[in-house]
Amino acid sequence: MTGRVFALAAVLLFLAPAAASAQTGGVTRTRLPNGLTVLVRENPAAPVVAYSLMLKMGTRTETSDIAGISNLLQQMLVRGTEKLDGEQIAEAADRMGGSIDAYGDADYSEMTATALSRNWQEMLELIGDCALRPTLPDGTVQAVRDFLVRQIRNRGDKPFDAASDRMRAALFGSNPYAWDPLGRRESVEKLTREALLAYYRRYYAPGQMVLAVSGDVKTAEVILQIQRIFGAVPGATVAGPAVPAPPAMAATREVAVVPGAQAQIFVAALAPALTHPDHPPLKVLTALLGGGMASRFFSELRDQQALAYTTLAQYPSRVDTSAFVSIVGTAPENVPKAERALSQQLERIRTQQASEKEVAVARAYVLGSQAMDRRTNARQAWYLAFYELAGLGYEFLDRYAADVKKVTPADVQRVAQKYLGVLRTVIVQPN
Amino acid sequence: MIAALAFVASGCAAAAQTAPPAGEPAAPIIQVLPNGLTLIVQDHRAADIVAVYLWVATGVRYEKPDGLGYAHFQEHMLFKGTDKFGPGYIDRTVEGQGGRANAFTSFDYTTFQILVPSDGTRTALGLLDDMAFRSIFDPKEIDAERQVIFEEAHIETDNPKSAIVRQLYGLVFSGHPYGRPVLGTPETMNAATQAKLKGFNVQYYTPENMVLVVVGPVDARAVRAMVDQNFGKHPKTGYVPPPVPPLAPIRGMVRKTVERPEQQAHLVLGWQAPSLSDPDSFALDLVATILGGSESARLQKNLRDGERIVSGISVTNSSMRLSGIAYVQAQLEAGDVEKAERRILEEIARLQQEGPTEDERQLAVTKAESEHAFAYETTDGVASAYGLVQLTGKLDDELRYLERLRGVTREQIRAAARKYLPVTSYARIAFVPGKSK
Repeated sequence: MTGRVFALAAVLLFLAPAAASAQTGGVTRTRLPNGLTVLVRENPAAPVVAYSLMLKMGTRTETSDIAGISNLLQQMLVRGTEKLDGEQIAEAADRMGGSIDAYGDADYSEMTATALSRNWQEMLELIGDCALRPTLPDGTVQAVRDFLVRQIRNRGDKPFDAASDRMRAALFGSNPYAWDPLGRRESVEKLTREALLAYYRRYYAPGQMVLAVSGDVKTAEVILQIQRIFGAVPGATVAGPAVPAPPAMAATREVAVVPGAQAQIFVAALAPALTHPDHPPLKVLTALLGGGMASRFFSELRDQQALAYTTLAQYPSRVDTSAFVSIVGTAPENVPKAERALSQQLERIRTQQASEKEVAVARAYVLGSQAMDRRTNARQAWYLAFYELAGLGYEFLDRYAADVKKVTPADVQRVAQKYLGVLRTVIVQPN
Repeated sequence: MIAALAFVASGCAAAAQTAPPAGEPAAPIIQVLPNGLTLIVQDHRAADIVAVYLWVATGVRYEKPDGLGYAHFQEHMLFKGTDKFGPGYIDRTVEGQGGRANAFTSFDYTTFQILVPSDGTRTALGLLDDMAFRSIFDPKEIDAERQVIFEEAHIETDNPKSAIVRQLYGLVFSGHPYGRPVLGTPETMNAATQAKLKGFNVQYYTPENMVLVVVGPVDARAVRAMVDQNFGKHPKTGYVPPPVPPLAPIRGMVRKTVERPEQQAHLVLGWQAPSLSDPDSFALDLVATILGGSESARLQKNLRDGERIVSGISVTNSSMRLSGIAYVQAQLEAGDVEKAERRILEEIARLQQEGPTEDERQLAVTKAESEHAFAYETTDGVASAYGLVQLTGKLDDELRYLERLRGVTREQIRAAARKYLPVTSYARIAFVPGKSK
């Protein structure tokens, strides 16, 4: 084994000029001639490795009639290849002390895999096999589709998911962010193997993909194997469909009935993409209102008014127009009180400037979240791949951190006035 | 680091050092302070984040029948103001440093967990000390927090996956503290007063009943010096743990069907299992993995992927201090509940008769090795593992876990399946679609 590794390393010296490599902050970036971007971060802290194979395919590349196709395709990739059936794939991953899984999200799809680092090469082979030689066996397509349709049904039974789906639909209209990555029941039921194959051929192009690796591995060895496994795939460029803009914000209020012990109140507005200069101040605002346990929602709606156990604000980082969403889960009899309290909070952030002290805690929370969330190799690989795929490079996180540090109370109030003036409300409650 | 390993602090009543298993980083340094508090420090340099975890040997098991839910209620109240700081101070301080604070209560323990950049270690220790020993239990805050906990109970009710397991504990440990609701009952919660909650705190939050775990890029000597300034200053109280309550075994079948508003059905089958310090728990861990603890385990392969009568299934062996619980949990369609129960029992019976293959045994050991390696990726993973095992077993068990697991034979696995998963005596709950909750 040792001998073989040395031989491979020697070969790499000759191959190196073919691929452009650059190293920053412990991460090596390599672009293969066919367009695949490879990022490797060596981390010897634990004897494990994590991979993230990410590509520009997700709800953003879907239309309403094929909503959910990215996620279904991803699920199928780990359920049968030219060499292995689904059972053998699962067993192979178990044997490596790891796992392999794939799913679709809003801006991307990811195949994520982990293994004990002594099996890093075998896992890379398995990823290559699943991503490049899937067979999408017909009977399995049907079973996975049925499973996903039931999952969509189950979302409707959960008050939080039901409220979330209604809000998404209200905010985004005909824009693809309007549906959950699981898709719509009507569209998923009609997806065929042929449709999946066509979609796969269109989007699985190396130029649209990033493979990020983090763990107890040697960069040169990993890059060499990736070149061998992925290098032969022909390069191609693809364009996604034209994406319709979400409807203009309007003040709306929708109440729906879903059985449960708790009611959910969602109040939301459209919010800028992650490349927009208002992104950092709005992230700080989100933390200040509903980030951690020091946030206003937690300390005032939960601790002081005891109106909730869960109360938070979210603002997902998206490549296109995203949303700011504030959430309170409360007892049904408290809905009027909680809705009023939430609306007062959103009014106050627009009309009164927060103190520098409070904004400082929120800034620290945003920066801390980044550090806390990147503790595992799997999350490290995800971060590397996500920002690279978004066209920003993983170095974006450093610029972002610098921008967050500069956010002032005036910035927070300015974005509150700009984005939170007109709000949509969705309430889901039991009878 | 080697030098630090040899270090035994002055004033140390006892210091233990366990050699690290092969291929692993430095071993933890364990010290018992003169006042009886156990301090575990582990150098871990994956990131500049320190996990400062306080574990207290309290929890539901120690509650009196008219004080159900007090361990958990009391845990919430420690965030609501001390004689130095008002409510919210802890969260503002920790989050203002880019950190996170949280707390959990279970049957054998309550834990307070702070994650901070390493220069916040001293602050985190000071906050935990303040919370544990100087909380004021303001009656106004008690009234507000009670409502928050009632909402917490609603959330649990709305989540069938956790609700069904909670109900299973009630059946498997009927009449025993492990069968009690962690969140208490409306009656006991409404009866909680400042005096009662404070009394609970004074009784159980004593140095000799505490374990502090600090994991991160830290120096054990420096940590000890910091702890001497806060936790180390409280005197011993002579606390003696209460006697262990007896546990009655499950006799025959206990069955319950609950109608719920969801369209998906849920099924659990549960048994009493060995405690963490019982050597049988290792073999039963492997039984759980082989039956349903991985993507290619028997139940996943046969019931989920082959026959497709469940959409999700898992087997858990959860070891606590006095006992344990093993259960099979499935999500499925209502029409498949009876068939799935029968098939689960058939798969258990097959393992009891034939035992596992050598390949399955090896796979299960690899799975455990992998879980261990991934838990040790982060400082909080290590702090959780150390604290949990210190409170429910012995730290040595955790450090030697893989070694022991590798020594379990196929016959021992088969024997554990026979002894602990009798197919004629277990508790079973089904959630099926219906009107009420």
